[in-house]
Amino acid sequence: MTPLFSALSSVIARRWLASVALLVSGVACDRLPGAPSSSSAPPRGSPQWTLATFDTHCRGCHSMADEGASIPLMDRSYWTFASDAHVIDATTNGQGGLMPAFLDENGGPFTADEIAALARGMRTQWGGSVAGSIAATYTAGNAVAGGLVFAQSCGSCHGPTGTAGSLLDPSYLRLVSDQGLWASTLAGRKALGMPAWNEPMPGRPSGLTPGEAADVVSWIASQRPGGRGGAP
Amino acid sequence: MSEGPGHTGCEGCGCTGGGSSGNRRAARRGFMFKLGGGLMGVGALLSALPVIGFVLGPVRRTQKNQWVALGALAKFPPGATRFATYMNPIQQPTDGESIKTACWVRCISEGKYQVFAINCAHLGCPVRWFEQSKLFLCPCHGGAYYEDGSRAAGPPPRGLFEYEWKVEQGALLIDAGRLPGMEDST
Amino acid sequence: MRFLAGALAWLESRSGLGAFIKPLMSHHVPRSATWWYVFGSATLMFFVIQVVTGVCLGTMYAPSAAEAWQSLRYIDKEVPAGWMIRALHGWSSNAMVVMMAIHMLQVFLHASYKYPRELNWITGVCLLLVVLALAFTGQVMRWDQDAYWGLGIGASITDRIPVFGSQIRDLLLGGPIIGGETLNRFYALHVFILPGAAIALVGLHMALIMRHGISEMPRPGAPVRPASYKKEYEERMARDGVPFHPDASQRDMIFCGVCLIALVVVAAIYGPFGPGGEPDPTLIDTNPRPDYPFMWLFGAVSLLPPASETFVMLVTPGVIVLALFLVPFLGNAGERAPSRRPVMVLAAAFAVIAIASLTWEGLASRWSPVMNGWSALPTPAQFVRGRTPLEMQGAVVFQFAQCRNCHALGGSGGQRGPALDDVATRFTPEQLTRQVQQGGGNMPAYGKNLSRAQMDAIVGFLSTLTPSYETPAAIPGAMLPLPISSAEPAPR
Repeated sequence: MTPLFSALSSVIARRWLASVALLVSGVACDRLPGAPSSSSAPPRGSPQWTLATFDTHCRGCHSMADEGASIPLMDRSYWTFASDAHVIDATTNGQGGLMPAFLDENGGPFTADEIAALARGMRTQWGGSVAGSIAATYTAGNAVAGGLVFAQSCGSCHGPTGTAGSLLDPSYLRLVSDQGLWASTLAGRKALGMPAWNEPMPGRPSGLTPGEAADVVSWIASQRPGGRGGAP
Repeated sequence: MSEGPGHTGCEGCGCTGGGSSGNRRAARRGFMFKLGGGLMGVGALLSALPVIGFVLGPVRRTQKNQWVALGALAKFPPGATRFATYMNPIQQPTDGESIKTACWVRCISEGKYQVFAINCAHLGCPVRWFEQSKLFLCPCHGGAYYEDGSRAAGPPPRGLFEYEWKVEQGALLIDAGRLPGMEDST
Repeated sequence: MRFLAGALAWLESRSGLGAFIKPLMSHHVPRSATWWYVFGSATLMFFVIQVVTGVCLGTMYAPSAAEAWQSLRYIDKEVPAGWMIRALHGWSSNAMVVMMAIHMLQVFLHASYKYPRELNWITGVCLLLVVLALAFTGQVMRWDQDAYWGLGIGASITDRIPVFGSQIRDLLLGGPIIGGETLNRFYALHVFILPGAAIALVGLHMALIMRHGISEMPRPGAPVRPASYKKEYEERMARDGVPFHPDASQRDMIFCGVCLIALVVVAAIYGPFGPGGEPDPTLIDTNPRPDYPFMWLFGAVSLLPPASETFVMLVTPGVIVLALFLVPFLGNAGERAPSRRPVMVLAAAFAVIAIASLTWEGLASRWSPVMNGWSALPTPAQFVRGRTPLEMQGAVVFQFAQCRNCHALGGSGGQRGPALDDVATRFTPEQLTRQVQQGGGNMPAYGKNLSRAQMDAIVGFLSTLTPSYETPAAIPGAMLPLPISSAEPAPR
């Protein structure tokens, strides 16, 4: 009986050990696909955080070069003239017209710190440094001189009989703020056929000068029924 | 309580049956059975009372709604609808985060407010305010409400629940506590 | 060895366990009882898994609203194999519901509930209710945002009960709010009351199976005659039956083994359910959804018209449960074969199709707005190319006014309203203006919220949404349609 017992017990012990080892290595292995990832939400300011936040709150309007109806932010052209301070201000307070305010105190979803982190993160992602050759914030120029620039360089596409649809449509001008006109003029939509301010355009092979850009935006704004402002 | 018919056999009693003593024993057994049943009944009733009282306790509502401050009036500019949170005045020791409560404050004009419960009037999911379209939307079944809380579309049977509010010392207070429901029907 | 045999004999003499188990193993079952009969055993096996993993979780889970969520995160991330136990518990609960449903469907289709097995069916229906209650209370145990708002849905439904609604709600929640006592109440239900009831009912169910035997496969033309059924059944079993073990139990073992392996594989691959976001009711950026067993209910309450909703929500569950209880009494004798019971087969098919399609609707949730559609989904390239400034601005208004939350463009966006890719083929600009202003057809009216210019822009944009809209080959130089607003030429 004793040898039988010991043989049996050794077999059982070996099997038992083997199965325990199997179980431990199998189950405790947290590399199985179902194991919950130990990483929590990406820290604020990290590239993943920036992309996720942008995708949820910004991308609906500001997308890539050829999609989205407003100025593309996933494209370098905007970042060449928009400073961090300008981006933060626009995000915090909105931009009149159709850009809402995103600061929590203004009814938006972000804290001030989050807005600053987002502005920095977007620039790292898509921007690069500011060229500094033109200010991101609009200051009025000479509307009379601007009329001439418009006729020479913009009107062929954007005039009342233009091929790309009139910029002078009163409803359009009512919807867009002066700053909005300014930003659109500066950034352009190259993928949709509109050059940026400093790119070749009809009558101006080297683009507009900063002064001409201010003049032409002033003239366009002056065509708005009821004058300045531009709020819905 | 299972009340069996009492034991009928005599094997275990050590008794010797028969005659008038048997009748007396039968009578005593009947009495004992009734006594046992009665005592058990009274005992069961007495011990059931606290159990019932304990289980039904929540219906008695010992805790009432109270006025809660949502913050300074400056947080709620005229014309805007803003998110506000408060700690529910009805508390239990183990609530944790679940006593944090949210609501929507609409300032119609200086000194005139509407405070809406976060809970959709359909099935209680949290509605979200969309400033641009001036709508409250519910993520569960798509209930939609206008700025003034009235029903705009979707399955809700009524508008959003509203809290009573008052202004004291430059702060907005609401009468808050129990989860809004059909009792708050207007 | 002799000592072991002696010990076993002693145990048997004192406990009688062997005498109790032997008939369980050796009782005769019909030879025709084949693979159709394995689903009940599989349900029981999953229940055992639930008990074992549930007790494991009970050693770690903190049943307190302040700590439950953190304790689950701890089990998931710190406790060795903790997440696996949670995954097994979660997937096994789904598997139990599915197996139970298949088992029930099989019993219904084969009319095994007929004489003398009415009580088998009734205890089975009771088990169905207990298991569904376990599934619901189990979701509450996660104490995440889905649990919190799921309780809110339950509370809102209870609240609609006439007269005593709010009292019953308070009783359910353990107070006037969803808070600490709510979780403890559901904890008591989930780990004491409901499992206790389930174990008692399973015992009864099994005792009834032993009492009446396993039903045979139905044959057309072999109706149940209550007067002679029991005697004939016993004669057939004695003559033609096979012992449960091993003839039938081997099939159960094979099926249960496959199920068990599948369970472990699924749990290892897909992991535990939740916990989702932390249970802070002020975090309203959430999208509450029930677990799979209740998705059909979620779908149903979304599709009910508001007028009949309360009535249907409160009365239908009672009617369904009552109908289930009455099933064995409505047809207690007669034919069992599905081919001779077309109405019952149709009823079963209807129930399966209804639950499947409502579940599908619940998963798709087309009625729910995509809450961040407006800020997350860009206007697709084909809808901005070649548009005029006003139309482009209309596309911005379309995003800005959250239209995208309910309307899809280019396949992305809400499905609550129709997709608008070709809306201009269905609506003239005037009709578009009226629809946006006045709403209708389950769309809110936007008249007050959009300025004249915004309306011009959005209608201008929508009017370009046709499949045949010509994207100019190159800009500048292509002719484009004029904006529909009355563009008065500005002085140059």
